Amino acid sequence: MAEHPQMKKWKEQAAKELKGKPVEALNWESPEGITVKPIYTAEDLEGLDFVNTLSGMAPYVRGPVGTMYTNHPWTIRQYAGFATATESNAFYRRSLAAGNQGLSVAFDLATHRGYDSDHPRVTGDVGKAGVAIDSVEDMKVLFDGIPLDRVTVSMTMNGAVLPILAGYIVAAEEQGVKQEQLAGTIQNDILKEFLTRNTYIYPPLPSMRIVSDIIAYCSKNMPRYNTISISGYHIMEAGANSVLQTAFTLADGKQYIRAAIDGGLSIDDFAPRLSFFFGIGMNFFMEIAMLRAARYLWNKTVSEFNPKNPRSTILRTHCQTSGWSLTEQDPYNNVIRTTLEALAAALGGTQSLHTNALDEATNLPTDFSARIARNTQIIIQEESQVCHVVDPLGGSYFIEALTGAIIREAGKIMDEIEALGGMAKAIETGMPKLRIEESAARRQARIDQGKDVIVGVNKYRVKDEAPGEVLEIPSTVRDEQIAKLKDIKSKRDSAAVKKSLENITKVAEKGGNLLEATVQAMRLRATVGEVSDAMEKVFGRYVATSRMISGVYSSEYGDSDVIKGLQKRTATFLKETGRRPRMLVTKMGQDGHDRGFKVVATAFADLGFDIDISPMFQTPDEAAKMALENDVHIVGASSLTAGHKTLVPELIKKLRASGAGEILVIAGGVIPPTDYDFLYKAGVVGIFGPGTSIPDSADKVLTLLEQKYLKK
Amino acid sequence: MTQKELDYYVQGVTSQNRLVMAKTITLIESTLPAHQETARAVMDALLPHTGKAVRLGITGVPGAGKSTFIESFGMMLTQKGLRVAVLAVDPSSPRTGGSILADKTRMEKLSVNEQAFIRPSPSSGTLGGVARKTRETMMICEAAGYDVIMVETVGVGQSEVAVASMVDFFLVLMIAGAGDELQGIKKGVLELADAITVNKADGDNIDRAKMARQQYSTAMHLLSPPSPDWSTPVMMCSSLTGTGLAEIWDMVLKHRKIMEEKGELERKRHEQSRLWMWALVKEGMEEWFYKNAQVVNLLPLIEKEVVGGRITATSGAARILSFLQNYSLTTT
Ligand code: B12
Ligand SMILES: Nc1nc2c(ncn2[C@@H]2O[C@H](COP(=O)(O)OP(=O)(O)O)[C@@H](O)[C@H]2O)c(=O)[nH]1
Ligand SMILES: [Mg+2]
Repeated sequence: MAEHPQMKKWKEQAAKELKGKPVEALNWESPEGITVKPIYTAEDLEGLDFVNTLSGMAPYVRGPVGTMYTNHPWTIRQYAGFATATESNAFYRRSLAAGNQGLSVAFDLATHRGYDSDHPRVTGDVGKAGVAIDSVEDMKVLFDGIPLDRVTVSMTMNGAVLPILAGYIVAAEEQGVKQEQLAGTIQNDILKEFLTRNTYIYPPLPSMRIVSDIIAYCSKNMPRYNTISISGYHIMEAGANSVLQTAFTLADGKQYIRAAIDGGLSIDDFAPRLSFFFGIGMNFFMEIAMLRAARYLWNKTVSEFNPKNPRSTILRTHCQTSGWSLTEQDPYNNVIRTTLEALAAALGGTQSLHTNALDEATNLPTDFSARIARNTQIIIQEESQVCHVVDPLGGSYFIEALTGAIIREAGKIMDEIEALGGMAKAIETGMPKLRIEESAARRQARIDQGKDVIVGVNKYRVKDEAPGEVLEIPSTVRDEQIAKLKDIKSKRDSAAVKKSLENITKVAEKGGNLLEATVQAMRLRATVGEVSDAMEKVFGRYVATSRMISGVYSSEYGDSDVIKGLQKRTATFLKETGRRPRMLVTKMGQDGHDRGFKVVATAFADLGFDIDISPMFQTPDEAAKMALENDVHIVGASSLTAGHKTLVPELIKKLRASGAGEILVIAGGVIPPTDYDFLYKAGVVGIFGPGTSIPDSADKVLTLLEQKYLKK
Repeated sequence: MTQKELDYYVQGVTSQNRLVMAKTITLIESTLPAHQETARAVMDALLPHTGKAVRLGITGVPGAGKSTFIESFGMMLTQKGLRVAVLAVDPSSPRTGGSILADKTRMEKLSVNEQAFIRPSPSSGTLGGVARKTRETMMICEAAGYDVIMVETVGVGQSEVAVASMVDFFLVLMIAGAGDELQGIKKGVLELADAITVNKADGDNIDRAKMARQQYSTAMHLLSPPSPDWSTPVMMCSSLTGTGLAEIWDMVLKHRKIMEEKGELERKRHEQSRLWMWALVKEGMEEWFYKNAQVVNLLPLIEKEVVGGRITATSGAARILSFLQNYSLTTT
């Protein structure tokens, strides 16, 4: 590559400013493995075939639409949902009145996993992390007074996608809105559920069939509807960097194209209705370049399938700022982080955006925090004047070069996945998940050492912070839902429902369109759980297999006295008591957040603990049996979706009832400080919230065990 | 150790108390001499209650599907009314000593089944140590009345030899599509096999599985069978769909019948005990040797002389061993 004519001189000058340090010391190695130089010039653009192209034209690097925000700014679409349909509906109406432009429904985890609210496995989940929907009746209440022919609705649903999409169709129908009028998006991206989001129900093969059935049904009956939102957001939030996010997401997309084509569709039938969802973190320029690179790569990927319609090759995307980057500590800092991320999404050219609330690491948003989050976008759109120019950073030497670097690096990983036979096969090998988890463990080690700065957590920490206002969903929501279920079941035509459910089972087994069959059943007031069961009979329920990484945390941490000191203490414990400290790390309820769970497990093992891991989605009973059978010293429950007040005390009760009361119980995850006393009273001996460093928690756990088991 | 303590363990185990079983396993796994002494007494007391179970060893390369197999196979057995115990040994990190025991994530149904008991154990320490712990854990489960005991071991090191020498039936799991090179499984392991099954024979993998089965059958003809009365069958199964599992259980029972009729089962177990004692002697000897103060002092000096070329390796070894003669052997 040529060099700028004055580059030599610049380097000499820089060397002087650096007082002898080499200029290369200014290079920054990004988590993606991209070397970022201190200065970029026109020479860095050599060979980049997308520079100085135009928006709305291939390869779409500068934007999927010609005029971009100069005509229409992005859609402000805030993701929300909690408790009952009634409460969520009221929230939606308030938020639409205050500047939100499109709805985005967050369902609770019982619904996600295809359980009705009265199912014994969801005692701690109903309405807690999203809105509880059991039937069309709930769906109708959810959209009451919201004209579905005008307001576009995005629904984050993947596992129980059939009954939910069908429920939405029927609710609209009963509002007087026809299917062909419906515009909006269903996430319906099952591949990334197996990878990171964990709200799958059935095994991969039948799950992919469901995706194809939905694409087929909608391309016939709902031409304005986005049948799938191929999501990188969850991949990033689980730990992936921008290159991994791009590669895995687009490779997922390619897999869906193949599935639809195998299902008999032609590329132009459905590709224009594929949409995307990216996550935008704190690495400002990288995020901007990522969106540009993704559009380039998608254009290239779809072109391989020879579309006639140019719209087929355009990547349109929703974005969300990173929740992971937000902290429990000093939470007003989160507004600043979210602002930067939102700006990056805008500069990258997103079509719609969700901005997170400042209390992200503590609870679902309150009315106050939701308002600030929404206003963050409104202020960028309406006060900052950034919307007047298309792709304002286009032509920046740095941004263009970085875009090129991401295209190159993500392209390599996509090739690697192709060589494995596509993303579905790659997921089977476990490769993508392990890469993400490794990236997450490294990140944790860098934060714990203060190498990656997080203000308020590992730098400038505020002492004795007072807890803020917390939104708590009462457990009575479950009782309300159960009452409604009883009511529906007493009023409907049971024989007809039964027949429609048998039909679903038959279609699952013998073929036919599952969405069509489900719409019929939902119309008759079948429940989400019943429909899911009807398919489970044929498909079975998927069980994830966890492969664990080891040694990554300690190797990223490097040679350190902190780590060695803790390793010495676990070794001493072994010497004195005859075995290593043994801890069961468990996930109870339908909470699928496994990033922290895995990071803690692998890091503690690196510190010399024997770590038992439970399967996901345990009941307290099951977790207690495992703790007892494996004879662990301590159980650590990782809880992020507000089930802690129900599930953790229940676990302690079960342990005590089975004679294993001496096993200590600690809890970690998203636990509002206002709940600490409640948990301590229930018998919990340690609580480790977001932002706890691993050495800190390990030190506390060891102290507990040393006090109990070592001779003074 | 008090009688009360002994009763706690022995009565607890024989009355099938899950908690006490768990504690007894912890006891025999302990590295503390005091615990080991108790453990020996407990094991002696449990001995009369052992020996009735079907002991199965299951090996295969990582990812072959051992845990998934045990999940499905175990569920099938519990549905027949049998009680099933599973022992899984997970490697401890040689560097940090810690371990991750994730077996139950792959045995989701079996691990919550009331008729099943699953105990993952860290491999920590010596191979002999693992063997002792696994063997004794197996006996504890037998004393607690479990009908079938499965031991999962990774088939890449030496642990599978140890496991093969403590079970009645040793099953090797293979997968198709990895070519005809033996997938990192050593020939020696195949020689120990009482049956081989090509796992993951499902979906679009069936044809490849059939081919692999054919190849292994041919290969097995070239190896000597583990017993004169038994030639190792090569089977096919899917741990995911459950096909072929019933046939494998039938094969296990058939093997047992033949071995019992010919008196081989008893002979095998006696031989296993005999070899086991010698393995313990060897291990104990090494441990004792390296802990001996004289040896600790002497070794580096003699080593130095050998390395320095002042004496030959042979006479160095002779000098080290000569001090053993100063000790005398006692019975009881
Ligand atoms: C990442 C993330 C995701 C990722 C999860 C990826 C994955 N595979 O884990 C994705 C994007 C998929 C996701 C999805 C959802 N999420 Co989310 N998510 C988060 C987020 C932003 C960060 C969590 C995280 O991983 N942090 C990093 C890890 C390392 O930290 P950690 O788990 O807290 O663990 C640390 C400590 O807590 C402690 N610790 C934790 N466990 C243990 C155990 C032991 C033994 C010890 C010693 C220590 C310990 O040590 C760790 C190291 O510091 C949080 C908000 C936040 N900032 O915390 C929301 C959050 C947890 N999510 C939330 C929700 C609602 C959801 C959804 C249910 C939304 C929906 N309705 O669809 C979905 C469904 C997910 C599911 N299946 O359960 C809510 C829960 C609300 C509540 N509790 O009231 C939160 C709080 C955001 C919010 N305010 O709305 N999410
Ligand atoms: N298709 C298929 N996959 C299987 C089968 N058995 C196991 N697997 C998968 O193979 C992977 C490894 O299985 P696991 O039981 O953990 O293997 P182990 O390391 O030998 O214990 C997992 O993803 C399983 O789901 C099978 O019979 N068929
Ligand atoms: Mg295994």
